[in-house]
Amino acid sequence: MRRARSLADVVLAALCLWAAWYHTPPGALLRAAVARLTGTRDPTPALLSYYGAGARPFQLAEPLPPRAALSPGAALGLGAQSALERLSPAERAEVLSGAGLRSGSADALGDWIGREADKQGSREAAVLSLFCGEEAARFARQRASGPGLEELARQLPPRYEDRVALAATALTLGTAYALAWPLPDSAQVTSPFGVRAHPLLGGRRLHSGIDLGVSIGTPVRAVADGLVRRASDDRVSGRLVLLDHGSGVSTVYCHNESLLVSPGDAVKKGQVIALSGNSGLSTGPHLHYQLDLPQGPADPLRFRAARPPQLASGGTEP
Amino acid sequence: MQPGTDPGAGAFDATARVADRLRWFFLPLALCALVAVGVHTAADVLGELLLRMVDAADAAFDSLASRWAFTAPLVDLVGPSQRVFFARGVALLWELAADALLALPMLGYDERGDEVQRFRELAAKAWARPTTLHLVGPFATGAVALAGSCAVGRLLEGTLHFGLRGALGSAADALAHGCALAAVLGLVGFIAWRGVVHALVRADARSDRIPGGRARRFTAGLPAGVLLLPLAVAALRAAPLLSFLR
Repeated sequence: MRRARSLADVVLAALCLWAAWYHTPPGALLRAAVARLTGTRDPTPALLSYYGAGARPFQLAEPLPPRAALSPGAALGLGAQSALERLSPAERAEVLSGAGLRSGSADALGDWIGREADKQGSREAAVLSLFCGEEAARFARQRASGPGLEELARQLPPRYEDRVALAATALTLGTAYALAWPLPDSAQVTSPFGVRAHPLLGGRRLHSGIDLGVSIGTPVRAVADGLVRRASDDRVSGRLVLLDHGSGVSTVYCHNESLLVSPGDAVKKGQVIALSGNSGLSTGPHLHYQLDLPQGPADPLRFRAARPPQLASGGTEP
Repeated sequence: MQPGTDPGAGAFDATARVADRLRWFFLPLALCALVAVGVHTAADVLGELLLRMVDAADAAFDSLASRWAFTAPLVDLVGPSQRVFFARGVALLWELAADALLALPMLGYDERGDEVQRFRELAAKAWARPTTLHLVGPFATGAVALAGSCAVGRLLEGTLHFGLRGALGSAADALAHGCALAAVLGLVGFIAWRGVVHALVRADARSDRIPGGRARRFTAGLPAGVLLLPLAVAALRAAPLLSFLR
């Protein structure tokens, strides 16, 4: 009896160690080390990427051609197309044939994801279905306690790690491509995104957003549905609002005159969240608009349909 | 081989004998792994709470640092872009600290023949002279071991489902679900509770060394309690036991 139980204990112990190999940071470190020693293609398990180790930047067409504003479905199609470009041609063909698609165009992908979202109940499950297959999405959806991609991904075995990461990329980019603009199109860019000499603090620093010159009191609108994570006031950023749009996308609006939302508020796309101003460390009235993706700040203009007029020089930082 | 002996039974006996001799080695490893998996599952649940805490702390820090010119550049130290990274970093540190307090000590597990009796005696002693240590360690270990058991079950179910679907079709679903349920019950019944016993043994040994009266018994182990109790509650949330019965 005791020996039979020992056998059962051995099996259970093996299961515990197997789970720890995939579901703990030390296990992920060991996997990365083993992958490096054996020369596996991608030595950074998804769990380590989650903590910022070896995270790969998004590969975007640079620069994006001017285009019409995208519907959320079309934006998701474009996001999926960008994510698919990370795969080898053979893997891409496999994903497309699994979905029954002949073309990997943004329009075709957007239409497919829209139809699949109706069937699966959420866009997250639909994108998961595209990259991991319909069966995997159905399996995850039936067992998940929520619709988020992270919760869905937890239900899937480790072999789907890479494809889940692609689905997350597609959702992030799709969310970013669907963003509206916080100010009227006529607002001029007075300082672009990128490294520049800081006009007030000195030294060369990354300007992590863009400055849009507008008069004090101009309504600032939410660029997408989201949750107010922060509505605060300090002497550098002034009165700022931070919105979380999900899928790793958040936007920040600084130097406002007054804030019209509070932390925890849910906001709708186009809702006025603040009135622009000249608060904080600033050389003139403007809105500092910042787009943050999981890999860090991104140039909002790369995700914008119509480019706003740009000034040749000058600045209203920070 | 003796005439009439079943070779299959012989191999089973031999394997079982080896397994029995190696219990001292694999049981502590299994306990450590199970608790670590449970801690990670619980830390996942705390992610959203930590993000809110980092946002609030960052807003307070920016408000303070922006008051003086020489500290103003520090406002960018944790910008909106780094907030998620910081929240995940805090979650990782929390998880590793919990691993050090709960998972690593499991490597010292020393099995006794009368584990149930040992548990009863220690529980009775803890009831008569309770300390914070008596409560925190065993409760947190039990909670994360339960969450870990569910995580192992979920991993097994997914792997079997997708591994056997080609060969068994829809029957793979039922088989995977049955195996996952058996694994969860087996882990709780054969492995996880040993973790609680070991946590109680350690808590009791440390409680015996606490000098003084009731106040000291309460304060000893309080910092660990602050660290582990939220994680234990999160672990209970992350243990969908009933989902394996559906």
